[in-house]
Amino acid sequence: MLFGIDVGGTHTDAVLIDKEKGVRAYTKIPTMTNDLLGSIRAAIKEILSQEKNVKIERFNLSTTLCTNAIVQDMLEPVGMLVSAGPGIHPENFRIGEYYEIIPGGLDHRGTEISPLDLDYAKEIVNRFLKQGIEVFSVVSKFSPRNPAHEEQLASLIKDRAKFITKGYKLSAQLNFPRRIATAYYNSAVWPIFVNFLDSVEDCLKEFNFAPKINILKADGGTMTIAGARMYPVESIFSGPAASVMGIIALCDIKEDAIVMDVGGTTTDIGIFASGDPLIEPENVRLKERPTLVRAMKVKSIGLGGDSMVSIKNNCINIGPKRVGPCMAVGGDTPTFLDALNIISQECYGDKEASLRGIAQLNENLSCVLDKTASEIVEQGCKILKKEVTDFIDEINERPIYTIHEMLEFRKIEPKKIYLMGGPAKLLAPYVEREFGLPVIVPDFFEVANAIGAALARPTMQAELLADTEKGIITIPELGITDKISKHYNLKVAREELKAKMEDYIKREFSWNLDIKDIEVIEESSMNMVKDVFTVGKDIRVKCQIKPGISEGYEKGVRCICNR
Amino acid sequence: MQQVKNRLGVIFFPAFDWAISPTHPEREERLLYTMDQLKEEGIFDIPGITEYKPDVATIDDVERVHFCFPDVKSNVTDSHLISAGGTIKAARLIMEKDEDKAFALVRPPGHHAMKVVHGGRGFCNINIEAIMIEYLRDNYGIKKVAIVDTDCHHGDGSQDIYWHDPDTLYISIHQDGRTLYPGSGFTHEIGGPKAKGKTINIPLPPNTSDEGFLYALEHVVLPILEDFKPEIVVNSAGQDNHYTDPITNMNFSATGYATLNKMLDPDLVVLEGGYSIQGALPYVNLGIVLALAGLDYSYVKEPDYDPAKFKMDTKTMDYIKRICETAYNNYFSPPQSDITLEKDGDWIVRDKEIFYDTSYIVEKQKEYLYDCNQCRGVLKIETSSTRVTNCIAIEAPLNCCERCLNIAYMEYEKAKKRAYSHIQFIDRVNKKVLK
Repeated sequence: MLFGIDVGGTHTDAVLIDKEKGVRAYTKIPTMTNDLLGSIRAAIKEILSQEKNVKIERFNLSTTLCTNAIVQDMLEPVGMLVSAGPGIHPENFRIGEYYEIIPGGLDHRGTEISPLDLDYAKEIVNRFLKQGIEVFSVVSKFSPRNPAHEEQLASLIKDRAKFITKGYKLSAQLNFPRRIATAYYNSAVWPIFVNFLDSVEDCLKEFNFAPKINILKADGGTMTIAGARMYPVESIFSGPAASVMGIIALCDIKEDAIVMDVGGTTTDIGIFASGDPLIEPENVRLKERPTLVRAMKVKSIGLGGDSMVSIKNNCINIGPKRVGPCMAVGGDTPTFLDALNIISQECYGDKEASLRGIAQLNENLSCVLDKTASEIVEQGCKILKKEVTDFIDEINERPIYTIHEMLEFRKIEPKKIYLMGGPAKLLAPYVEREFGLPVIVPDFFEVANAIGAALARPTMQAELLADTEKGIITIPELGITDKISKHYNLKVAREELKAKMEDYIKREFSWNLDIKDIEVIEESSMNMVKDVFTVGKDIRVKCQIKPGISEGYEKGVRCICNR
Repeated sequence: MQQVKNRLGVIFFPAFDWAISPTHPEREERLLYTMDQLKEEGIFDIPGITEYKPDVATIDDVERVHFCFPDVKSNVTDSHLISAGGTIKAARLIMEKDEDKAFALVRPPGHHAMKVVHGGRGFCNINIEAIMIEYLRDNYGIKKVAIVDTDCHHGDGSQDIYWHDPDTLYISIHQDGRTLYPGSGFTHEIGGPKAKGKTINIPLPPNTSDEGFLYALEHVVLPILEDFKPEIVVNSAGQDNHYTDPITNMNFSATGYATLNKMLDPDLVVLEGGYSIQGALPYVNLGIVLALAGLDYSYVKEPDYDPAKFKMDTKTMDYIKRICETAYNNYFSPPQSDITLEKDGDWIVRDKEIFYDTSYIVEKQKEYLYDCNQCRGVLKIETSSTRVTNCIAIEAPLNCCERCLNIAYMEYEKAKKRAYSHIQFIDRVNKKVLK
């Protein structure tokens, strides 16, 4: 059986899934913010109380640990060695207290413009080590085109540090400032995250489980625990992606659609284009700094079930402050969920308490409580609608680079809304009215995120770059650099990249994927012309393994997505 | 974190799937390394610099400017309409106050496309700056516009389109036409009889480097702009003055281009030529973007750049100074006599022969300008080419007087009765195109 767990900011959700019978057990418990391991342990216990004789083959975990560590600045000092050729001065990208620029540079084709000043670099490394630095990151401009400078820097540190992040291994994407930030955070969260992973392994042993452990990523895929030990930064913001994966597992989406996961603090919005979830091309931002961590296109809005509601001068204000829980389940401040509870046909907790809460708010007592509550809910739905509309407009404005794309460009026009999270059922009719679109609330809507976590499979993106003038190919993500002949072409490049990715997935995940699961997302082959002669080809192929649901599990969990 | 002084919109459209021919300089990968450099620098992550998708220009947008024969569709591809649409997007961004400045980093270019279009000239089919400017005039009521063309080749197309327009100041700094395509742009070319001094040419000798360009900018371009007081300044930013460009002979640098843009401070920048796709474009475009946004560009240097190699000698600088003085006087006190002026009744006439090097077409034109004392006058052109013969074009320009508008309609009615193969009538007053 598969175990999926999403340790979120408010709740920890867990499910146990059987291939044939679907969801066997599930739970939703409050997250103990200062004891994430404790939350995991409690969730496992709860699940085991519902289902006996469990054998867990795979344990998929989505956790906010790294996100929290970054947000709360609980970071390890990182020795940053950065080198750059001409362009914007790397001083602009300074991050952390130990950031040094090493002279030397590469150009846009990876040709060395000036060699690294290795003597100076040695001095810096020695100084950092003397200052007690244990983790390092090495980043050079254009390293995905040629990793030589990063490798030279790393070889100076080698066994003298606990951990080194090499920038080019994070992504083939060109973006030096993001590479710097991502490499920094990757090393900065490494000690705390690796420590946590050790405890999780121990914890599972306590229960006599020895499953394969995977960690959720923000793009809706998984990485192995070994991968997570190398790239802990990839585990940030995996929660919203787990929600989207849950919807994919539960519902058969074919059209343009909106997914909303209404949580306690926030509502996460995801977008589907013809049934495919959109991957964020802009990547995740950490403390205002964009990174190379790929994420699903998800927008978080500061409006959830536990959002505080207030009324001032007849003006309703909802969120973004979270109080809670709502009064219906024993809180002391009225929330959005209390308002919803009053006007809803269905009942959540103590309706009387909700009524008392909204009554507190009502300045004008002559007014009927029902009316106030429905105004609050209406206002909430209006906020959701505005945010969703802005989000889709922004997506429809994304840049493109070929005439083909320009002419084929299709605007996203959602036809349905999939609603999940605790308040989903109560909220559905009001969202439907506000958006004028059919709303679907699937079974297990409260723990769809944990289902998504349990069933997510590996994702991967890799780019192959061939320069036939130089006679070199590189696949930065796989650490491959190889010689090629003058006759190397796009077709060979495409096949080579797919084969290398297939090998990697088999080796790392023991997953015999279908080669059809590897799709080409960008490819080009352009002549390199010197004067008027073609001297070679610049070939680029980018492939991905899209996020998806583990094979064979769909029929067990898929619900009939009618209302 | 870098703080921009000006919010900048960049419309980046490299048209990776379009070329004139596989080894043509204006080909698919022209902006490939520029894209790599801009992405690696994280340009679009800087708060205040935003990347946008181009609009697609409509046939109406083209017909507002050009007389296309036999029609627009036979002269443009989707790529041309997207490139022109990129400039329109740029214009809209600043007019709607979304951005302070905008850079249309698009291809194919346009500044060799003239008023009448029978095919492609100098890699250009339609004039993307003119399409942008006339869009601005029709949609936002802009009147006075200045184009500063810093492409290495004389922008004979832009010059032709605005030859008779006193509200558009066209200044071109380029390599001397005696040494480079298209062989025009000499100091005596100063605009038509109704727009004298509104076309200014600054032909510079081969091997001019930063010092010479910036001298011309400081001593000619800036004082003229100060006097003309345009509502919008456009830089036609060709990048083929660069010392590595394979088809020209100048010695301008990336820092030079950036400094030029910092001093010029244009509202809109449109990419034109520039064919050193590895050695120049990545650095020049980066420099221009940073300069426009008001950021530091002093570390944007070509790997092989050595300013000492491009030091200008006194003799050449003296020559440049003399050219600049002539150009300056051409604006402030344009010569009134014109030995080439020919009249036929109330019409001022010109004969022109135009060669379309890209499409290999020859065109013969007779241009008539109504000599009006109220406005710039009706324009009428009889044109034949080796592709389409016996066409006529009539334009009632923006802000033309009532009499000229009537004359234009009379000419149109007259033309319909004759055996022209194609008639194009642009009525800018009523925003109409009749055929």
